[in-house]
Amino acid sequence: MAETSTTLTVGLAQIDCRLGDVAGNVERHLAWIETARGQGVDLLVFPELSLTGYRLLHLTSRVSLRADSPELARLAAAAGPMSVVLGFVEEDDRGLLYNSAVLLQGGGPAHVHRKLYLPTYGLFQEERFFGAGKRLDLAPLPGGRGGVLICEDMWHPELARRLAVAGARLLVVISAGPGRIGAGALADSQEVWETLTRSSALLNTCWVVYCNRVGWEEGSFYPGGSHVVRPGGEIVERAPFLEEHLLTAEIDLRDVDRLRWRLPLLDDERHDIEGPA
Amino acid sequence: MIRRDQVAQRLELNAPLAATVLTSFIKDAVLTAQSSGVVLGLSGGVDSALAATLAVHALGPERVHAFLMPYRTSSPESENDARAVAGHLGIPHRKIDISPMVDAYFTAEEPDADPGRRGNKMARERMTILFDQAKKLGALVLGTSNKTEILLGYSTIFGDNASSLNPLGDLYKRQVWQLSRHLGIPAQVVDKKPSADLWPGQTDEGELGFDYGTADEVLYLMFDLGLRPAEVVARGYEERVVERIVWLEQQFRFKRRLMLIARLSGSAINLDQEIPRD
Repeated sequence: MAETSTTLTVGLAQIDCRLGDVAGNVERHLAWIETARGQGVDLLVFPELSLTGYRLLHLTSRVSLRADSPELARLAAAAGPMSVVLGFVEEDDRGLLYNSAVLLQGGGPAHVHRKLYLPTYGLFQEERFFGAGKRLDLAPLPGGRGGVLICEDMWHPELARRLAVAGARLLVVISAGPGRIGAGALADSQEVWETLTRSSALLNTCWVVYCNRVGWEEGSFYPGGSHVVRPGGEIVERAPFLEEHLLTAEIDLRDVDRLRWRLPLLDDERHDIEGPA
Repeated sequence: MIRRDQVAQRLELNAPLAATVLTSFIKDAVLTAQSSGVVLGLSGGVDSALAATLAVHALGPERVHAFLMPYRTSSPESENDARAVAGHLGIPHRKIDISPMVDAYFTAEEPDADPGRRGNKMARERMTILFDQAKKLGALVLGTSNKTEILLGYSTIFGDNASSLNPLGDLYKRQVWQLSRHLGIPAQVVDKKPSADLWPGQTDEGELGFDYGTADEVLYLMFDLGLRPAEVVARGYEERVVERIVWLEQQFRFKRRLMLIARLSGSAINLDQEIPRD
């Protein structure tokens, strides 16, 4: 029996970004795209708002791009046969702004996810500057359909669940998650993220890749710690703390089916349970 | 809910990780500003010793410029300790006596000024020297105020609280001590009583009316965890001390916010237009 390829090489570009400097960040992306292509990456993932930096505040409206902008077209062309997920400030036809992820494929945008949950508490101010997305769709990732989520979206686990139930075998999570440390061996922020991604990979029985950025913005640091989680929740690769890094991992989407035969959680999912009132 | 005997443990840090992060902070700020390094005032106390040590980890000793700026009544022990820190780190250091500048003003214009005013003037004199030296060297001014003293307003506004970057501002005093011990700062500096050394015999804890251990815990419970004063007192902290800390925290909030601008347009700086810096 002929076997179609279910394996792909994922690259997580754990980069730093210059705040508000789209042109400079495009150049950085081009360099990482070239490196990743040299390493045979099939799907390259950049962090949340990787083209603009995260803490934009009133710079947000100065750095927005449409999904069909020349900047994104240039990156898509450079990607060649490789698929790329990156983060940018998206402006729609009505001039509304979104914290979006775009999948670039075959020379152009193949999927856009607008962040659904905009954190506006603590140091986060996203609802002041962004509109919230309204749709959750599967993305045509290499190897099959998958999901793309942005940072806070992972804190509302029904989104990952819905994607998995709809057929996603790989969840791509891009993030600009600030670091916090305490007494623990790992940063507190890393413990929290690994709890989220590992429980998602366990309960949704799928691959989860998490790409977080590094660097500093106005006194707040991004620790990196990007990682790849196998279906079932085991971390197979983890990028270093605080350093720019291209983390690559070979993942077999067939592992999802193999686990689901043993652990049919999604097949058992019930949608007919009533209550609580 | 948290008990008093659990608070100290909650304030412990993974010291190597904290040092790595704070080192990265200094390195990033210097690189982003394209500056040559940092300048800082070395007082002989633990805060400036820790800031200098972190800067050396980030930049190497030759890019960290220390200034010893005693006034004629400053304790010689402070100067000795500052020299010990500079020697230990192998950083360039220079002594600039601020007595002539400070005395020129008070002798000629304000001979009756009280010690508090004189202390503030000394702190601001040091600040102007540091910013001038920073300009000369193409460097940034490294701040040394910790979270406890910032929250208590225990600083001179535009004096010791002025800086280009501050690696210690989110560390409570006990975390400063913990990190300093971890980084091997000389014990004579870490273990002595904290003092602003603005007049002979002054100690921080004497002036504040409570010890740093208590202040750190009370501030952590209120500022970090959101407990109300009565809930802090209910955990066994002295009511008088809690009230005093609450008062200080409220009274000196203005020192933590720069530039109070009267808004007239719809695009006032920092209110309507919050433009970040990288």
